[in-house]
Order: sequence, then C-alpha cells, then structure tokens
Amino acid sequence: MRYGMVIDLKKCVTCYACMIACKQEHFLPPGMFWNRLLVTETGEYPRVRKVTYPVLCNHCKEAVCVDVCPTGASTRREDGIVVIDAEACVGCQYCVVACPYQQRTYYGDDKKEYFPGQGKTETEIIGQAIYPLEAGTVVKCSFCKERIDAGAKQGLKPGVDREATPACVITCMVKARHFGDLDDPESNVSVLVRERNGRPLRPELGTEPSVYYVE
Amino acid sequence: MKPYNWMVTYTPQTDWIKGGGTIVWLSFFTGLFGSGAYLASLYFDSLTGMIVSWLIVAVLKGGLHVGHAKRPLRLWRMVLKVRTSWIARGTVFTALFALFGAIQIILSYEAAGTSTEITFKVLTAIFALAVMVYEGFTINYVSGIPFWNSSLLPATLISWGLSGGLALVSVVVSDGGDMTGLTTASRIALIVTAALTVLYLWNALYAGSASKESMKEMVGGALFWVAVVLIGMVVPLVMLLGGALAPSSAIAFLVCEIVGGLSFTHGVLKSGVYRPLI
Repeated sequence: MRYGMVIDLKKCVTCYACMIACKQEHFLPPGMFWNRLLVTETGEYPRVRKVTYPVLCNHCKEAVCVDVCPTGASTRREDGIVVIDAEACVGCQYCVVACPYQQRTYYGDDKKEYFPGQGKTETEIIGQAIYPLEAGTVVKCSFCKERIDAGAKQGLKPGVDREATPACVITCMVKARHFGDLDDPESNVSVLVRERNGRPLRPELGTEPSVYYVE
Repeated sequence: MKPYNWMVTYTPQTDWIKGGGTIVWLSFFTGLFGSGAYLASLYFDSLTGMIVSWLIVAVLKGGLHVGHAKRPLRLWRMVLKVRTSWIARGTVFTALFALFGAIQIILSYEAAGTSTEITFKVLTAIFALAVMVYEGFTINYVSGIPFWNSSLLPATLISWGLSGGLALVSVVVSDGGDMTGLTTASRIALIVTAALTVLYLWNALYAGSASKESMKEMVGGALFWVAVVLIGMVVPLVMLLGGALAPSSAIAFLVCEIVGGLSFTHGVLKSGVYRPLI
C-alpha cells in the first residue's frame, strides 16, 4: 500500500481553501503552512497564463529526509506516509535543508501568537491541547494520518470516505484533489495518473514522490 | 525574498546560515580547521598542535553541535542511523576522534614512542580525516541544491581545512620547528586549495541554471574577492613564496587562513539555492 494524492491543475481555482483547511485541521501556528499554493505566470505578454501548483509533502518513496535524519525520527510507514516522531527529533534541521521540495518546517518558537501581545486565543490554546507540536523539532504534512488511522479502525476507506480522507482533499470545492492507494491499479488516483499522464514535481531527482499532478 | 517567489524562483537556503544556522557554519569550519590542524601536527610531530587541534574539534566543534541541537539529550540516537545519515556518521567520527585523541595525547606524555601511542596516533588521524570527509559529504548530499551537489565540494573543503591546519601548526612550531618543511607544505596546500576552489566554481557554471545562479551569487560580492581570494589565497601565497615564515608572518598566515576558510564556507552555505519547483 502506498497512499498518494493526485491534484488536477485544470480544476484548481486558486481559492486557498486547502491551505486554510490544513491550518485549521492541525491548528498550525502563525506563519506555518503544510499546504501551500505556488502561483506564477508563464509565457510572455500578451500570451500570459497564470499557473497554480498546490504543494505539500510529497511523501516520497525514496525520501531524502528519511535517509538524512540522524536519529531515525523521520520514517516512512508501511502505507507510504512519511512521518516525524517528535520524541526522537533533535532539531538539527538536516531534513529541512535536504528536502528538495522544501516541505518541512522547523518549529522553533511556540510563543508566537496570532494576535501579538494579546495572548493566545482560545482556539490556539485548544489547538495546543488537541494537536501539540513540540518546539525545537521539525514538523510537516502527515497526509492527515490521524484521520486515516482513525478511519481505518472504523473500516473506512481513505480517499473514499470523508472521515478517513485528508482535510485538504475533502475541503476542495472543485474536487481538484484526489487521495488513494497508488499501489492499487484500480484506485481513483492510479486511474488518474495512468489515464491523464500524471507527473510528480521534479521526477529527475529520483525521490519518487507520492503527489502527482494532472493537467 | 517575497513569499510569492518561494520555490517559484531560485530560493536560497537559510536554515544553515541565518539565525541559529550560523552555528552550523561555524561547526563546519571548526571541524575542517581542527582536523586539518591535527593531521598537520601529526605530520610535523607537534604535540602542542595536536592538543590545540583536539580542543578545536572536541570542545569547540562538539560544543557547537550540542548547542545547535535543540534537543541535545537525544543526540545519543545518532548512533542508530550511521548507515544512511552523514550527520550521524559525523557525530560518531567526531566522538571517536575526541576519544582516541584524548588517549593519544595522554600516551604522548606518559608513553611516547611506544607502539600503543603510534596505534592511537593512527586511529586519531583516521578519524580526523573522517571528520573532514563527512563535512563535505553532508553538504554534498543535498540534491535539491545543485551548487552543493558537486563531487568537487568535499575535496575543496578538505583542502581549505588542511591549509588552515598547516597555518595553525606554523604558529605553534614557529619558535624552533621545521619551518622550511611547513612553508613548503603550506605552499603546496594553498596552491591545491586555490586550484580546487577555481575548479569547483568553474564546474558550478555548467551544472545547471540553479548552480550557475549560486556561483554568480558567491562570486558577485566583494566578500568573496577580498576575504576568500585576496586574504585567503593571494596574500598567504605571497608570504609563503618569500621563504620560511618568521613567527610574526606565521600569525598573519593563520589569520589569513581563518578569514579565508570562514568566508569560503560561509559563501558556499549562503549561496546555495534550491531549484524552482515549477
């Protein structure tokens, strides 16, 4: 099994909902994003096209971050999700530097507030209790593994059942994001990759990302 | 860099050079410099040099690493990942260098010339070289930054470390050691360092657009030409061509090599840019 995501660039309307949903789901502190939109332009005037690439951790099959981690804090689960064990991370940031997609963040300051000088809001306080991030460690997208694991216990299918699917996927109003098992040739993601010639970011790096893009 | 430029244009690496990342830069330099000084001290049989270089690597570099790790009590876990992680290997190499070096220094006082002392000298030298090698490969392994991902980088960094190490030993033995031999060795090391630096930067020009961008960034500022080229290479080379170094010239040579080495490693780390993702 290898969970993966396919993002349909033709459908994406650059609404940033995935980015916000991710922040809400994990109560991410100010300035931290596990989901981002890369927006740029291609071509030359007057033939210019706006291009949007939603990016997140690629959960690479050959994950450089896992190889370079000196303590074994970064690991790749059997289902292909790359996770960080905060209890084992020393905060050396080698994985942050080594990730060619720059999808890891060093969480250094846990005192940052959304409204500086006014104390933490109730949401921030609740967030720290529900989804505690350990200061001095590296954090990143986990494909919402909590939802996947909890869903799997209830017999739900990630990518099909909402409760077991990453927040960014279920929040997408134009259904540009698809989630499923890349090792299952009949899964929605495998079919999309095969039929619409899905391509990951920077395949030449040999990291074999689990996030594909179709146009 | 504006947020909307992030990973859309060439994005500079900042984690290992800005803020707390400065510690990484300093630890890389002290590792190269100290290990180079140990090897030079061993070759020129300077016990004082060995002690000073041991202190640089074991205390200064080791301390910087502990200082940079935000959770230093977990550092023991590094022995678990030596199979794939260069930083884990480096930590083990540094620890073994510190251990064998300490034993060797004690033996040099208590049992000089014995086979045990020679064995520990060889062991410490092996790990001094390993420390220099791991630093280059730690940086070189980052495939997302083409400027670093060059096989010439580890060799160039080792060369800078050896030049700095020889300069340190020149100061230590300047009042009665083999200054002629040291001057000749320093001259050769400096010429090799200059050649490797030029080769590394020249090669970076043809290793893709991101690498070219990094190279332009590195050589574009006055710091490179003044600190790396002039102070780190030209001035010491002129001093060394004038014959055996006097004690005062040896100190000037050491200062030049520290400035040059620090500036070169700083330049390499600061100029590293990631390829755009789209």
